[in-house]
Amino acid sequence: MKALKLSNEQLIFYIVFGVFGILPIFLNGNLAIMNILTMIMLYAVVATNWDLMMGYAGIFTFGNVAFFVIGAYASGILAMSLGISPWLTIPIGGAITAGIGVLISLPCLRLKGAYVALITFALHMILEPFLKSDMGRAIGTGGAQGLLSIPPLSIGGYTFSSLQPVPWFYVAFGLSLVSLYVTHRIINSSWGLSFVAVRDSEPFAKSLGLDDFRVKLMVFGIAAFFTGMAGAFYGHFVGILSTRVLGLDLFLLLMVMQVVGGMGKFPGALLGAIIVTFANEGLRAAGVYRLVIFGAIVVAVVVLAPDGIMGAILGGGKGRRLDRFRRFARRAFGKETSEAGDSV
Amino acid sequence: MTHELADVVISGLSSGSTYAVMALGMALVYGISRVFNFAYGSFYSLGGYLAWLFLGHQIGYPAALACIIPGLFFIGTATERFTLRPLRVRKNWEMLAMMSTLGLALFMDNLYLAVFGPFAKSLPVLFEGAVNTAGFVVSMQDIATTAIAMSIIVGLWFFLNRTRHGLAMRAVAQDMTGSEIVGIDKDRVFSYTFGIATVLVGAGGILLAPKYFVSPLGGWDILVKAWVITAFGGMGSMLGAVYAAFILGMVEAFVAWQLGLTWTLLIWFVILIVMFIVRPQGLRGSWG
Repeated sequence: MKALKLSNEQLIFYIVFGVFGILPIFLNGNLAIMNILTMIMLYAVVATNWDLMMGYAGIFTFGNVAFFVIGAYASGILAMSLGISPWLTIPIGGAITAGIGVLISLPCLRLKGAYVALITFALHMILEPFLKSDMGRAIGTGGAQGLLSIPPLSIGGYTFSSLQPVPWFYVAFGLSLVSLYVTHRIINSSWGLSFVAVRDSEPFAKSLGLDDFRVKLMVFGIAAFFTGMAGAFYGHFVGILSTRVLGLDLFLLLMVMQVVGGMGKFPGALLGAIIVTFANEGLRAAGVYRLVIFGAIVVAVVVLAPDGIMGAILGGGKGRRLDRFRRFARRAFGKETSEAGDSV
Repeated sequence: MTHELADVVISGLSSGSTYAVMALGMALVYGISRVFNFAYGSFYSLGGYLAWLFLGHQIGYPAALACIIPGLFFIGTATERFTLRPLRVRKNWEMLAMMSTLGLALFMDNLYLAVFGPFAKSLPVLFEGAVNTAGFVVSMQDIATTAIAMSIIVGLWFFLNRTRHGLAMRAVAQDMTGSEIVGIDKDRVFSYTFGIATVLVGAGGILLAPKYFVSPLGGWDILVKAWVITAFGGMGSMLGAVYAAFILGMVEAFVAWQLGLTWTLLIWFVILIVMFIVRPQGLRGSWG
């Protein structure tokens, strides 16, 4: 029973995706809920990649919403002006974003914490005036109006429609699964270890010949790629795109997801995406105070429980609560093993 | 031509001095407590909004400032006490501090949006009229702004160099452990440093409000500008921040004259990147 040797992180990861994978069957294509689920999948990609950069690689980046928007615009413009199939423009959009991400990261990675934060944040700030400017208009951003008729995805003769949310959901599901799996592999690879080494003692790690610059550059590229893909998908999914996405709304939501889930705790951002997206819908009634509440949640969680939900579940790395679940699972599958200490 | 040039120089001096006040607050907090405060711009708006609230009651600037300045100081110290001090015991507190202050910024800005609405508020000018000497027309507002900002800078210099509290701040900035050994309560120093920075940026908000208005998201521009200035001057260096503020204020005035105000930030970033390539520690800063 190799599958039962999963770490707590993997367990949560597979359970969440397992549940999401079959959830549409029970929902009968309920439009509102399916759209929320699709957005959760997209948010999970963006928040997890952001967390990979910030919580693991220690790069204080605030440009991830900008990556999302760059991917969305790149894919939308390519599909609209050149008529390329969205199936191609989504990965191309991701690749363009990755290119811009690497370009931005080159000066960033030579600098320290607050500098990186503000250079990436500056990318976010400059993007809106650029997209609205004549320069932006020249490459087809549509100026202040934005992109109004981004073509939807289609397979063979079937064109995805906003009235049938299930196919959309499964594409987002696939993207999210691949992206989070890649993140998981990065965290558990030698790269992940090198982040820990650099975080714990940078001079020592470097004295061992560890080139964290190259690794961080790759992480920057990969995270920008998936974030750009999520943005590109979003553009085709919603069909219209304007610079309003760059407002504080999405930025704040994604931050709350990471903080609530637990920064630097792998599937935390995924759990955060689920909780915060539903909470966001629930708080629509609060009107203008919705974002005030979210801002307060960020401060409160950072100050009181910086490890978020994952910290609560794993109980400071011991994972007692989940061990109980795993013992139950082992008994249920009829294989009692004595591997109490295999959890991370 | 000479007239235009003189206007540009005067405008550069005026905005440079206000920027210096605000950049000093950021450099103080960063230099002393190593906290990068993302809510800095929100405190700028807070100054403007408080002034708008008080002046709405027809009490005039002196009385309003007498209420606002202690209020800002109190809000600043309380913020440090409750959102930053608890983080210091943690290992990655610098990142947590950034997240916490960013959360605070989003909280405050959205609160402004909810309470005051999306439209910009305008403040009355400090002094009306203009001075006309030898053909140059300079508005009294510009003169007053520059004079007040300059006196704040000089006052801060005296505070840091001539008073016990100021010297304690400098001691903590130079050597945290050493200052604890000689009996300086560093938590208190961090608190009132944050309070002073809040007053400085709030004062900047009040000084600039008659010209640029107060809006819920107006602080972000100031946050980025204050950061560019402190980074250009050298993170944590007071004198560097003042030099940088005047240089970049002058650049802004020239850019606004030749290209338009919207280009300012872009040109500033280009200058900053050139600075990073030539001299990554800034004008007068040091790494670490």
